[in-house]
Amino acid sequence: MEALSYLVAAVFLPLFPASMLFNRVFARAGDTRLRMALLLVWPQVGVFALALGGSQPPAWLIGWGVLTAALYAFRALVLRELNMWTAHMAVSAWALLWPIALASEDGNALALQGLALSVPFALLAWQAGRIEAVFGAAYAGASGGLAHAMPRLATLMTVTVLAAVGTPLFPGFFALLATITRTAPLVPVAAIVILVVWMLWAWAGARITRGFVVGPPCEESRTDISGTVALLAGLVLVALGVAGVGLSGYLV
Amino acid sequence: MSPPIGQKLRVRAMIYVAGEPVPFFWPMRAFIHHNPLHGLEQLPFDKAVAKGERLFHARGFLPRTVYQRYLADGQVDRAALEAGIRRFVAIHSPQLPFDLGDWLVTEMTRRDCSVVEDDGVAEGDAVHAALHGEVWQAGRMDADDLTHRLQHEIVLGRPIYEVIDSLYGTDIGTELDERVIRACLDFFDEGQSIWTMPERERGFFGAWLDVAGQDVRRTLDTLLRNAANGVDHSPENVIALVLESLDVPEDGWVSYFTQELARLHGWAGFIRWRSNASNYYWEQRYPGDLVDYMAVRMLLALTLLRKRAKGRMPITLGALSEAVNADPFEFYLRQEFRSRHVFSEMAHTLEDALLRGDRTHIAKVFVDYHERKQRHAAQRQAERLRSLAAAMQQSEALKALSVAELNTLLDGLRTFRAEEGMIWLRAMEAKAMGSLLHGLNFEHAPPRDKRPFAKAAFCIDTRSERLRRSLESIGDYETYGIAGFFGVPVSFMELGKGSENHLCPVLLTPKNLVIEMTTTGAQDAAALSALEKAMHELKESVLTPFVTVEAIGLLFGFDMFGKTLLPTSYNRWRERLHEEKPPTHLVQDKLSRDQADSIVRAVQRAVIVKAVEQDFGLEPERITDDIVRELREAALGHQSGCPAFAAAAGIDGAQVERFIGRLRGAYRINQAFAQLQLERLGRIGFSLDEQTRFVTQALQSIGLTDNFSRFILLVGHGSRSENNPYESALDCGACGGSHGLVSARVLAQMANKPEVRRRLRSKGIDIPDDAWFVPALHNTTTDEVQLHDLALLPPSHLIYLDRLRNGLGAASRLCAQERLPSLEPHARITDAATAIRNARRNSMDWSQVRPEWGLSRNAYFIIGRRALTQATVLDGRAFLHSYDYRVDRKRRLLENILTGPLVVGQWINMEHYFSTVDNERFGSGSKVYHNVAGRFGVMTGNLSDLRTGLPAQTVLDGGRPYHQPMRLITVIEAPFEHAIKAVEGVVAVKRLVRNGWIRLLIVDPEASTVCLYDDGEWRRRTLVPDDGESIFQELCST
Repeated sequence: MEALSYLVAAVFLPLFPASMLFNRVFARAGDTRLRMALLLVWPQVGVFALALGGSQPPAWLIGWGVLTAALYAFRALVLRELNMWTAHMAVSAWALLWPIALASEDGNALALQGLALSVPFALLAWQAGRIEAVFGAAYAGASGGLAHAMPRLATLMTVTVLAAVGTPLFPGFFALLATITRTAPLVPVAAIVILVVWMLWAWAGARITRGFVVGPPCEESRTDISGTVALLAGLVLVALGVAGVGLSGYLV
Repeated sequence: MSPPIGQKLRVRAMIYVAGEPVPFFWPMRAFIHHNPLHGLEQLPFDKAVAKGERLFHARGFLPRTVYQRYLADGQVDRAALEAGIRRFVAIHSPQLPFDLGDWLVTEMTRRDCSVVEDDGVAEGDAVHAALHGEVWQAGRMDADDLTHRLQHEIVLGRPIYEVIDSLYGTDIGTELDERVIRACLDFFDEGQSIWTMPERERGFFGAWLDVAGQDVRRTLDTLLRNAANGVDHSPENVIALVLESLDVPEDGWVSYFTQELARLHGWAGFIRWRSNASNYYWEQRYPGDLVDYMAVRMLLALTLLRKRAKGRMPITLGALSEAVNADPFEFYLRQEFRSRHVFSEMAHTLEDALLRGDRTHIAKVFVDYHERKQRHAAQRQAERLRSLAAAMQQSEALKALSVAELNTLLDGLRTFRAEEGMIWLRAMEAKAMGSLLHGLNFEHAPPRDKRPFAKAAFCIDTRSERLRRSLESIGDYETYGIAGFFGVPVSFMELGKGSENHLCPVLLTPKNLVIEMTTTGAQDAAALSALEKAMHELKESVLTPFVTVEAIGLLFGFDMFGKTLLPTSYNRWRERLHEEKPPTHLVQDKLSRDQADSIVRAVQRAVIVKAVEQDFGLEPERITDDIVRELREAALGHQSGCPAFAAAAGIDGAQVERFIGRLRGAYRINQAFAQLQLERLGRIGFSLDEQTRFVTQALQSIGLTDNFSRFILLVGHGSRSENNPYESALDCGACGGSHGLVSARVLAQMANKPEVRRRLRSKGIDIPDDAWFVPALHNTTTDEVQLHDLALLPPSHLIYLDRLRNGLGAASRLCAQERLPSLEPHARITDAATAIRNARRNSMDWSQVRPEWGLSRNAYFIIGRRALTQATVLDGRAFLHSYDYRVDRKRRLLENILTGPLVVGQWINMEHYFSTVDNERFGSGSKVYHNVAGRFGVMTGNLSDLRTGLPAQTVLDGGRPYHQPMRLITVIEAPFEHAIKAVEGVVAVKRLVRNGWIRLLIVDPEASTVCLYDDGEWRRRTLVPDDGESIFQELCST
């Protein structure tokens, strides 16, 4: 039973090569809402499976999780298609739930962290859908100059990417900080790799933002997202920030 | 073996020619407004703009939406706009079943972007199919056609690293620019860096080569090893070797160089200017020219290319050409993938195919991509056409078009897109010309029965217009406009400065030197200045800043709070701490031979006294005149032995001889140097003839030849602002970017000289004894006018001084009240006192990025009587040069005005034009990100091209143009033949008029006509008072 639950967890808190399944499913799901749902639900199944296993996952699985996170973070560096980038970054983040699980004794906390890590990716999937609707594809460089063409969406995207890569105040930051500080005394190498992953995220985030937000504006005017929608999405991000601060108290 | 001198000269000549389109960049200490496309002025304006756009990757006109806003605000003449469109249609006469002109009017005025896309992919048959909802099948692209197209598009006409970047995304160009900028910063530094590049005396390329990295040295070694003329490190040889190794054919070198220079045109322009300024101190000391610069670029480019390519990509033109021939599909896809016109829906597929590198797959993707992109483009084009047709209510007409007609329509729209900017511009200028003519007064004023209280000659600068109007409105004042150097080219040596400053338009080179001296004698630096110097040294040292911050950081904090929170009071307090500049005199009379000899002797004596003091420690009271005379005569070889000196110093004959040798060598007391000093002294001052000539010319050129007032003010202008590298851009362009006070003082001193006045009388200019020329400075940031040299004022005038000051003060306040709302639209400016208070604050506030608007919104240059424009409010938009053709029968004065002031005005106008239409490329972007570079320019951030042009804060307001970009509308009030002969007589101006760089109107008061030069011909209409706009519409519609 324990082995089965770990196997299921390895698919839903994806470990390489099982992670390819999520990427394949995500790529096949053409609808934005479906993608958002996948991003929110997928890791929760993994967390549930992990909880079913009962005991702490073995060290080799945690190491595998960290390496998977590093692999996908590294790959995300060169990706320019926003949906693929989102999927890879999500896999990288979820794979880190394994060491987080080691650091966290409470199953609910892990589920919350999984959710908090996933929300920015769900928002990114929604933004990718919006960009595709306007430009035909969400491809960094080809759909650039959003800061001029769609300033509201560009602002939202920038903040969302910051949330996704674990910038301070957002939950990812506190989750990673807690994981590193708790893993460092036990498995120092893992803590260092997590730190590297974090840096790769930041680098990948900067690259993808640059590809979409900056650049010469397109000549034709584009319809930006409405103020209300921008406000709602902004509120989600603010809530995420508040949750991050709350989570910091819970974790530390 | 060295390459033949002929080859070196050829490379040098090619770079000289290639650099022509790159505008000079003058150091910002004396900001010179210039036309960024000055090097293209031999072309008609529209063609030069098109070429400049390609060369500098910039835009030459405003976006359509901005012109539409001008149209809505009534600043574009709609009739002229429609006339421009009709003219376009008439020239191109497309065969269409409807009037294309109507479509174009709608396209221009109701759509915010062009109906056709700039990549022009959509073909008529595809668009036709899309319009009719039919399925369209793209024809298969022939590989040979594609190869030919790619060879033309990709391989030719660009530096090779740009081609590689565009195909492989390597970004070599960016890295190359960064390394070149670092090299330039190191070499051309003028005292900003503490640690400077070693051995700069060897020239740019030589000095750089010594400190260039190992990678560069390896590249050079390889180049030289393979070259026949092995050991020649000369920049010309290196350039030739690099280009040969890249397979660039020699007939393409000039255009290759131009492309290279245009990448960092700020640096290239600065180096180009510097290498031409033979008297420039830094150039004399550390020579560097465009050949050095090009050699640095070429060698670095080759290094980076080899480093990045590592055999995986072709890096020579030959290899690139072969690769394209071998696999055109791959190169097409590569080019598409990296371009901003990539069909984004397939971008990922392209990336995937290129990464896989499978030729068959690439060919398949190519076919798919080409077809889908064309279909997509056709769909988009069809949608746009439908929307335009719907706006015209001609949807059916569009649908009825055949494929051939659709192609004609698309071609017409594409051609129109390229010409649209010019049509908008002409329509905007038409409106501006109409408004101006409407306000002009063509009547001659009746002669006055008494002289005015004061007459004042202001600089022609647009900012003087408001002040002149204000002064005239408050009392009995008459004003004139004259170029701010008052027609006297002066090389000026300021008190306490060792270098000369040219106070005249950069087109002129002054022959005469004026020196500023004081009677108060040399003074020690004030304690505060010494403290400031010490602090600077502490800040600039390598280690001390760590301690300095802890020790005296609080003082800086105090300074910061003062400057930020209470700028006016704090700066006044600081000014009180500084010692005021003592009253000075200008030495501007030519020295006689005896005077010059006497000065040289005095200088030699002073040097000898210092030398004896320093070398022998003798007290001054022991160094008698006899000893000094003895030593001087001995040093000049007039006598041998110095017994008195030997006795006083207690030394023997050999020691005396050694000291005399030292006087000759180290202290330069010798015949040759004395001769040199005499020659230099010969440059000081003006002869009486010259003074008379300059005064005559200045007075006649503005028509001030009689009825002189008690006061004749000569008002130069300057600006004052804090923390502003662009401060000199606000000073006087006619004074070479300096303030105009010195020029005013020089002319006033000449005109007040009795001998000069005596000679003027013989020329028919009778200046009464009670008329006194008073120099003054108009501070354009605060609008205040400060009178100078009042110590020289005759006592009889003192009683009137209060009235004069009150008048000027009132005019300043009125001027500030009129000007401030445009500067601070949200401030509550209820009265003139508040306005001038705010203006003063702006000049002292270090956080103020826009202390004044400067010459922004300049539009007109009017050469004529003041009465012509006196009744109209020109809002500080006009350069006003007074001119009375009746005193200029030989047209010499008019030609002088055209040669100097008008050309400077055109430079200013074009600088503003291009900085507005593309502030990032032709202007200098936002001031907020500027950092001073090398003490001669600014960069954006810590590493960028030198920012040329004007900052956004000078020409834009909230991102929208504040300056209205138009060509300079020039009006000459004179009989047509008189004016036209003067214009034709000045080649530079004739070229500007004929090529459309300025719009010229001639108002003929004798024939009562107005003539406009347009489209290569003169159009003439009769003047009707108060009917300027309709006259103008007539002129335009011809």
